[in-house]
Amino acid sequence: MNYLCALSLAPVLLWSLVLYGAAAAAVWASASVSALLCQLAVDAVYGKLSVLDGSALVTGLLVATIMPPGAAWYMPASASAFAIVVARGLFGGYGKNWMNPALAGAAFAFANWPEAMRSYLMPRALSGVDGLSGVSPVGMIRDLDAFVSVGPMEALRQLGYPISAADGVATGFLNDALFLPLGARLPEGYMDLLLGLKPGALGDGALIAVLAGSVLLLSVRSIKWRIPLFALVPFVILVRAFGIGLPSEGFMQGDVLFALSGGGVVLASFYMATDPVCSPVRRGAQAVYGLIIGVLFYVFRRFGSYADGAVYAILIANVLCPSLERRLPQLGRIIRLRRSA
Amino acid sequence: MKNMRGLSRGGVELPRRAPYTHQGIENAYLPIQARVPVPASPEGRDARILVSEGQELREGQLIARAEGKGAANIHSPIPGYVRRIERKRGRDGLPISEVVISLAGAFSISGKRQERYIWKSLNKGDILHIIQDKGVVQASTGKPVYDLLHARFEGGHPRLVINALEMDPYRRVEEAILIERLPALLDACDIVAKVLKPRAVYCAVERGLDKAIVEAIEAAAAEAELPIEIRAVPRRYPADMPSIVARQLADAEGENYMPAEWISLEPSVLLAVHDAVVLNKAHMEQYVYVGGGAINEARVVKARIGSPIGDLIEECGGFRGEAASVVVNDPLCGWAAADLDEAVDKRTRSVIALSPEEAHRAPLRPCVRCGSCVDACPEGLEPYMLYKLIAAGRRDEAMELGLGRCSSCAACSWACWSRLPLVTAFDAAKGAEGA
Repeated sequence: MNYLCALSLAPVLLWSLVLYGAAAAAVWASASVSALLCQLAVDAVYGKLSVLDGSALVTGLLVATIMPPGAAWYMPASASAFAIVVARGLFGGYGKNWMNPALAGAAFAFANWPEAMRSYLMPRALSGVDGLSGVSPVGMIRDLDAFVSVGPMEALRQLGYPISAADGVATGFLNDALFLPLGARLPEGYMDLLLGLKPGALGDGALIAVLAGSVLLLSVRSIKWRIPLFALVPFVILVRAFGIGLPSEGFMQGDVLFALSGGGVVLASFYMATDPVCSPVRRGAQAVYGLIIGVLFYVFRRFGSYADGAVYAILIANVLCPSLERRLPQLGRIIRLRRSA
Repeated sequence: MKNMRGLSRGGVELPRRAPYTHQGIENAYLPIQARVPVPASPEGRDARILVSEGQELREGQLIARAEGKGAANIHSPIPGYVRRIERKRGRDGLPISEVVISLAGAFSISGKRQERYIWKSLNKGDILHIIQDKGVVQASTGKPVYDLLHARFEGGHPRLVINALEMDPYRRVEEAILIERLPALLDACDIVAKVLKPRAVYCAVERGLDKAIVEAIEAAAAEAELPIEIRAVPRRYPADMPSIVARQLADAEGENYMPAEWISLEPSVLLAVHDAVVLNKAHMEQYVYVGGGAINEARVVKARIGSPIGDLIEECGGFRGEAASVVVNDPLCGWAAADLDEAVDKRTRSVIALSPEEAHRAPLRPCVRCGSCVDACPEGLEPYMLYKLIAAGRRDEAMELGLGRCSSCAACSWACWSRLPLVTAFDAAKGAEGA
C-alpha cells in the first residue's frame, strides 16, 4: 500500500523535475533520504525493522511536496526528521501516530522558516531565468489591497504576473476547439495554474500531475474516497458562494478554478487527509472528518494569516479524529432514541 | 434457475478456483488404525464412552453416546478392537477423548449388498430419531443435524436450502456430489422435507456452474416430484456460509431474514442423512477434497472417520514440491494440521497442502486503520476495533460492539493489509466466554 502511494506520487515528482530541475531534485532527495535514515534510527531504538514497509519513504516524499523548490537542504531534511522521529517514532511507530507525520514535519518547517517556506521559485519556463523567486498566486491575491475590483486572475495580470507561452497556446486551442462552440471562453492564465507554471510548492505546482496520482490511488481503492469528496465539495461550494475575500466577488461569483489550483488543496485532500492512520474508519465519521477539513480549508484561505493553511486544516482534523470516531456513534444513538421516543 | 445479486454487504474476492478435473469420488483405503475423536459437547459435557480397551467392535457400532445439547453419537468407522482410549487436547485446547481402533475382523456393512430401507413408512419422529442415533453432523457448523432439524420441527414450516456453494478457492466436495450422487441427494431432500414440511426448497449453486449439472438437478427434481428452486449465487466469499446463504435468499425474496425460518444443509450432509435413514449407516464417512498447490493430484475421496490425513495425501500422489502448510478445511476458516497423523473427523471437508507461494507468509504489521476489514465484514462489524479492544483486554466492550455476531468467516483477515490475525483473536475471545 505504501509503495503504491509512493508510486502515485511519481507524476508529481517527474513534473516538478521538468519545471524546476535540480532545485526540485535536491528537495525530494534530502526529504526522502532524511526520512529513511531517521526511520532506520528509530528502528534501531525499537529493535525492529520497519523501514522496508515504505511508510518512511512516503512520509519523506509527502514532506517534499509541501516544500518550496530550491529550499535549502536542511529544511526538508529537518522536516522529515521531525516527522519520523517526533510525530511518529515517539508515539510508537507506524500505525500509532495521531497526526499525519508529513504534515507535522511541514508545520515544523513553516514555524521555523516562515519566510523561506513561502518564497517560491519561478519555474524556468515562466521567467526564462533560473533562480528567480516569487510569491504564489494565492498568496499574492491575499496581499492585494481592497481597491482592486476585478477577479483574481485579472488582478494578477494587472500586477504584472507573467503568462507563459504554453498557456497562450493551450488556452487558445481549448477555446477554439471546445469552449467557444459551447458558448464559453476560458480566460488566459488558468492553464498555467493547471500545469504548474507558477511559483508554488513542489506538490502544489502541477495540479494535473496531482490529479493523475489521485486517480491512480482511487482506482486501486487504496484511499478512503469519502474524505477528499467531503473535503473538496464543501470547499468549492464555499468558495463559489462567498469568494476568497476580494471585494469584487459577489455572492456566487467566487473563482473556483483559481481556488482549487493553489495552496495545495487538492494534493492535501487526496494524499494527506486520507492518511489511513489518523483518519476515521467509520464511514459517517469519514464524511464529517472530510467536511471539517473542507470548511477549515476555506476558513484558512479566506481569513487565515497565510493562504496555504491546508496543512493546519488537516492537522486540526487529525486531532479531532478520535473524538469523531467515539462520539459520533453515541450522538447517532441519542438522535435515534429521541426520534423513537 | 434464477440469478441472485449475492451478498448485500461485505465479502471479499478470493483468488480464482484452483484447477481441478473431476475423476469420480473414490473410496479411500481403510485406515489400519483409526483415531476417532470423541469431542465434548459445546457446554463442556463429555460424551459417555461405551467401549473399553481391548473390546472388539463391529463396523458402525456405537462407541460413545452424546451427552448434552450440540453433541452427536460416535460410531466405530471400521471393524476391529479398541487399542486404547486416550485423553488429549483438542484443537481448541480443551481436553477431548480419542478412541484408537485397530482394523481387524469381518465387515458387516462394507462390501455387503446395500439394503434400502423403506423409509416412506416412517413418521417424522422416527426419522429424527434415526438421524440422532446415527450421529449425523453438519460439517460446516459442527452441529448435529438432529439439533438443527429439531429446533425447526415445531415452529411452522421453514425453508430448506441445499447449499451447494463452495466459495473457497479449493474445495469441490459439494460439486462432486452434485455430479455423482444426485439421486441419493434428492432422496435425502425428500426425507428432510418429510420431517420439516418446508414452505420451499431452494438449491443454491454457484453462478457459472456447468449447465449440464443444473439441468440434471432440474430433471431429477422433476422426476422425484420435488419442487426445488435453483438459485445461482455470484462468486464472492463468504457467500457459502450456512447463515449467510439463507440471508441472501431471504433478501432475494424480499423478506426479513429470520434464522429460525431457514435451514441450510450441504449436499454432503444430506448424503449422510440419506445413508443413515435409507442405508442404516452411521455417520462414519466423510467426503474429503484433497488438493492445493503442493498435492500431486487433487481428488475428492470418501474417507472413513479416523483416517490420518497423511494417508489421504498419499493416495492423491503425495506432495509435489515443498508444502508450506497443510490446512484442514478451507484456508480461511480452517486450521493448520498439527501433523499428518491428524484424523479425519465429522467436520473435515478438505485437506489442502499449500505450496509456499500459496501460503504466502508475510510479517505482521501494525494496524493502519485502512478500513478494509470493515468493508469486508458480511455482518457489518468493525473488526479493527474489536481486535483493538480484545488486545487491550476489554472483551466486554468488544461483545457490546457485536463480537457475538461474528461468524468467523475470516473475510476481514483476508482483506487486512497488515495481516493481523483478526479471526484468530475473535475465536479466542468468543471461546473465553464459555470458560
